[in-house]
Amino acid sequence: MLFFRALLAVAMVVCGLVILARMALALPAGGFAILPGVVLGAAMIALGVHRLSLIARVRGML
Amino acid sequence: MPAGTKNAEPELRRSVTPWGSFSWGYSDVGADIFVGLGLVLAYAAGASNVAFLFAGVVYVCIGLAYTELAATYPVAGGGQYFVMRGLGDIFGFIAGWAVLLDFTIDVTLFAWTSVDYSSQLVPALTNSVHPWLHFGVVLGLVVGLCLLNVIGVRESTTFNGVVSALDVISETCILCFGFLFAFRPQLLVHTMQIHWPSSYDLMLGTSLAIISFVGLESISQAAQETQRPASIIPRTSVSLILTILIFALAYSNLALGLHPWHPITDAAGHPQQFWQIFPNNPDNQGKAVALLAAQVPYYGAFAALYVPVLGAVLLLISSNSGVFGSSRIAYAMSASNLLPSLFARVDRKYRTPVISIVFFSAIAVVELIFAAAPALFPAVSSLYTRFFRGESGLDFLADLYAFGAATSYSFVFLGLIGLRLTDPLSPRKFKIPLNVPMRFRGERVEFPLVAVIGFMGIFAILMFTLFTHPLGRIFGPSWLVLGLLFYLVYRRYRRLPVLRSQPRDWRNAQTEILRRAGELELMDEYLANVKASDARRAGQGT
Repeated sequence: MLFFRALLAVAMVVCGLVILARMALALPAGGFAILPGVVLGAAMIALGVHRLSLIARVRGML
Repeated sequence: MPAGTKNAEPELRRSVTPWGSFSWGYSDVGADIFVGLGLVLAYAAGASNVAFLFAGVVYVCIGLAYTELAATYPVAGGGQYFVMRGLGDIFGFIAGWAVLLDFTIDVTLFAWTSVDYSSQLVPALTNSVHPWLHFGVVLGLVVGLCLLNVIGVRESTTFNGVVSALDVISETCILCFGFLFAFRPQLLVHTMQIHWPSSYDLMLGTSLAIISFVGLESISQAAQETQRPASIIPRTSVSLILTILIFALAYSNLALGLHPWHPITDAAGHPQQFWQIFPNNPDNQGKAVALLAAQVPYYGAFAALYVPVLGAVLLLISSNSGVFGSSRIAYAMSASNLLPSLFARVDRKYRTPVISIVFFSAIAVVELIFAAAPALFPAVSSLYTRFFRGESGLDFLADLYAFGAATSYSFVFLGLIGLRLTDPLSPRKFKIPLNVPMRFRGERVEFPLVAVIGFMGIFAILMFTLFTHPLGRIFGPSWLVLGLLFYLVYRRYRRLPVLRSQPRDWRNAQTEILRRAGELELMDEYLANVKASDARRAGQGT
């Protein structure tokens, strides 16, 4: 179960990174318009990292 | 039950697990996007995602503040308790009274939108088609929830957990399919550039966006019934805050950049973007997530069938939390002598606060009548058009919801700052980031900068609400003034300090709170802090 949860958390971080990368590519055309997308990507990375840190704590790695 | 009540009285059982704590909060706050999305798209148009971003950043600050306060003071009183302890009785009353406004609106607003979501599958329930039927069903739901709460039937934590899990999975699927197959980044940028709203509409949209993030009181309510709240609450709250923020931002971005699966046209047959079905269409505003789900390629065929049902159930749970929450807050305020003891009276037969439940449900019914009147009576409709820019129905309820939330959250930030300064000895297992160390009245304290940023944000939203909502700026302050007059008369009648606070032994109260929560290490740490502080002061005195 923990492995499955960790996998989901990693997937969330990857999704966040993909969104950030796509937003960065849209920067020349979008300008200010990419800001909500950037925050969305950052929030997904933050949630993924938060979940991973909780799992690491349960496993005694932190 | 707040501190200070007699030991002989029964305590709430601490049986809520981490997932239970998350799902409790999620069933309250998670339902808000089902209501907020359509309203924000209707007014903020191409800047809807920016409106959600602004409100979302403020919400993160509020969420962190509630997390710190609920973990430090795990009592069910919530905002009013924190404010009363940090700023004094009268401000605690104002915050609690604003929360009560929100809870009564919560009952009506979520019952209303629950029916709107049901109308996606049962068209007869559409408000504009059969307003009397819509009104009757909403009224029936409010009365039904009131009766269920009176006899003490409540959905279980397991039921909340199952519905929350289904909703998280469902929303994730909708967003994944939407972003993979229907999202066009160029369309998002184009919409934001071409359909950017006026400053007035952006302020209106932002003030409505905050209603997607209301319900954080549930964090403190869950804290009262969670095992080891100081450890569990921060873990679950951070996940809850980020999950809600992600859904709100993802939905608003997707809605603006969505290439609809089925073509959407206006009355003249011209193609429309998805978000354009919301302005001037209250029926659509009340069921935005169901409409969006149906426009997601492939998955939409399945989602169109179940999302209206899931949305209606989730909204009904949220509506029920309004009935339950208002009676619980009134009980806590009554125990602190902010409201008459009548509101804490428990019925002998049902063992529930019947008077409190019936009183606040009756207020919810009055609000429903005000909201529905223009659709039911054409003569009233012209009055609303003349004096309130035609605001009615969902707009009316959302106005007051935003006002109550912005007011109570503003006070919670001030309460947090006050508690950091006046109660530095309580151990805080979770602290909001960005603190400035300083000395206050001889004690080392940490001044929370995030609380100041959050206060400025929520105060701006309160100003937007007062500026852009003709109904909100009349009914909201009227509610506060009426409540304040009632409070002054009651305190005078009971011969309690009217403008000052009643003397309380907060040290013993805090020890008792931590003992009841099972946080014995924190209780020892608190007692050691108190002892050291007293010794330091005695040393300075000599």
